[in-house]
Amino acid sequence: MNPSRSGYVGLLYAAPALLFVAVFVLYPLAQLFVTSLTNSSLLGGGEFIGWRNYLRAYRDATFWQALVFTCKYTLIITPILMILGYGLALLTLSANRLGKLTRAVVFLPVVIGLGSSSFLWFWLFDEQVGLVNKLLQDVHLIAHPIVWFVDANLGLAAVIASIVWKVVGFGMILFIAALQAIDAEVNEAALIDGASYWRRILHIALPLTSRAILLTTLVSAIGSMLAFDQFYVMTAGGPESQTFTSLYWIYQNSFIYFKLGYGATLSVILMAIILSGSTLQLLLMRRGRGT
Amino acid sequence: MGRSNWLRGGALIAALAASSIAGPAIAAETLTMWVRASAANAAPHLVDLWNSGHADKIALTVIPDNQMVSKLATGVKAGEVPDVISFDLIYMPDFMRAGFLTDITDQMKADPNFAKVAPAFTNLATYKDRIYGTGFTPDVSILIYNKDLFRKAGLDPDKPPKTLDQIHEDAKKIRALGSDIYGFYFSGACPGCNIFTTSPMMVAAGAKILPRNGDEEPLDGPGVKQVLQLFRDMWTEGLIPKSAQADNGANFTANFKSGKVGIQGAGGFLISDLKKDAPNLDFGVAFLPGAKEGQASAFVGGDVVAIPKGSKHADIALQFIKWELTDEAQLEGLAKNNILPSRVDLADNKYFQSEPRFVTTAKAVGIGYVPWVFHFNDMVNSDSSPWIQMIEAAVFDGKVDESIAAAKAKMKDIASD
Repeated sequence: MNPSRSGYVGLLYAAPALLFVAVFVLYPLAQLFVTSLTNSSLLGGGEFIGWRNYLRAYRDATFWQALVFTCKYTLIITPILMILGYGLALLTLSANRLGKLTRAVVFLPVVIGLGSSSFLWFWLFDEQVGLVNKLLQDVHLIAHPIVWFVDANLGLAAVIASIVWKVVGFGMILFIAALQAIDAEVNEAALIDGASYWRRILHIALPLTSRAILLTTLVSAIGSMLAFDQFYVMTAGGPESQTFTSLYWIYQNSFIYFKLGYGATLSVILMAIILSGSTLQLLLMRRGRGT
Repeated sequence: MGRSNWLRGGALIAALAASSIAGPAIAAETLTMWVRASAANAAPHLVDLWNSGHADKIALTVIPDNQMVSKLATGVKAGEVPDVISFDLIYMPDFMRAGFLTDITDQMKADPNFAKVAPAFTNLATYKDRIYGTGFTPDVSILIYNKDLFRKAGLDPDKPPKTLDQIHEDAKKIRALGSDIYGFYFSGACPGCNIFTTSPMMVAAGAKILPRNGDEEPLDGPGVKQVLQLFRDMWTEGLIPKSAQADNGANFTANFKSGKVGIQGAGGFLISDLKKDAPNLDFGVAFLPGAKEGQASAFVGGDVVAIPKGSKHADIALQFIKWELTDEAQLEGLAKNNILPSRVDLADNKYFQSEPRFVTTAKAVGIGYVPWVFHFNDMVNSDSSPWIQMIEAAVFDGKVDESIAAAKAKMKDIASD
């Protein structure tokens, strides 16, 4: 078979996947971009207005404030999830009963819907009936119940606690899979050489699971940049609009203010920002491995 | 074949011939009706009553509140709409302007019951002098107060506050009852709750809240500042629980139900809720007051009913709308089930005699207002609206004048869009 002929055959094999991507990813993306150049309303109608929506987004202080808040949330929660997830993976790596049970318990919240878990934590942090205040009072850490969602930082802390509980198990499972894939002989050799536990973690486990760490960090960071449900349910953007995330603001514009065109513009901008961030992260990791 | 058989046979042929001349009997239709989830408890009472007495039936579909706009918009575009629809009345101006609804002006004006519907509904359902709907399952805001706490504080439980100052004075006396007893409550981070319960006090005191267009002045009149200053004073004096600042509506009624709050604005729906959830709580209801005695107002909420453009059974849908305004539907479908009628003349009806608090609430529908504006969500309902930002900054940060000025500017900007 000549090379060009085999290329066509390969293309034919890939055609269903390409078609799927074209219909369900590329076409909606193109449509999103076209909508972003119009003043379309959820109630119908809309005309081509060029780059006016982009100019408006540039001047939209709430959007940039929401973006800064989203980045702050991502920068805080991503390391927590990674370190805690990796730590839990190391602790539950052994295949004994306790290890398996702990894994199951930590992973359990992952299968709960994000909306449901946010409601659960919203009430746990309630100043009157919530168990968090009760616990903190019982151990004498606080004298009076805290009104958590009255302060942007306290509200953010409450949301972070809920999300860590909800998703830390996902990272843990990925890390366990990566750690288990390390050849046992490498560890055995290190043991014979007298390497301590922490030395083996630092010089064997971490380098050999770096791909999994990168992937999990990337997935976690993108997920955090697209945070919506937890803030919608727990803080409703308050107090005084200080906990709006970018996606929450896009939702507000598209479905509450009916401004579909402008919502599409903000979505395109957010997508570009996330794409650039992810590419940068991948490049830095690649360069790090190269040196 | 005997003579009698010939006769029977002849009669049968004659009957068949007659039926073929008259044509086939008209088949009963089944109409589709969408109702938003918040009205899903009330609407079935009316629909069941209609179905029990009419050959044409109505099948209800409950739509989540936040999906109603997008579902109707896409339905209109695709030509797949329900035959009749009940939705949050506040979307009426937007839907009328978008051309989603059928003009029913002539039929409504010819119906004597339509003239008796609360003016708030009729005003809201009118666009460029044409009528596109009417009241369906109303709710209205009222002032609610704990009579037990009034007694303990030495106040007359049959004399609810009739001015803003009286709310303040009564709240102070109730607060003095104990460290966990509060004089007043409102959900400080809930835009919808506050347009429902706080804005009527401003309107009663002579204010105009929202502009129809960029030329109109929003938040106009001294009532706006008077109410915000009252709330600010009550907040700094500790008459309102600290938790009010973060309440986005989740605890709108929970504090009052606990029996530890003296006075608050609420909705008529709370009467039935309290009787069920807190049967031992002795409470009274009154109109939301203004600055002076005799001033009162309410926010008329709930649902309107209309016929979407493209309805396949618009004629029967119209019959249903006219029927739901009759005495039978308003009394047997609504009042009998402790739901407020949308007709003002039926506020004091036989079913409400045993519960005078319903009569007060039903009368509030007659004096109530509802803003006729586009962009209601932008100006009021969204979590970042100028309305809620004004309340938060004025009450919790003490920036009364600055917050009013900022909200005015933002509302004018939105209204000119």
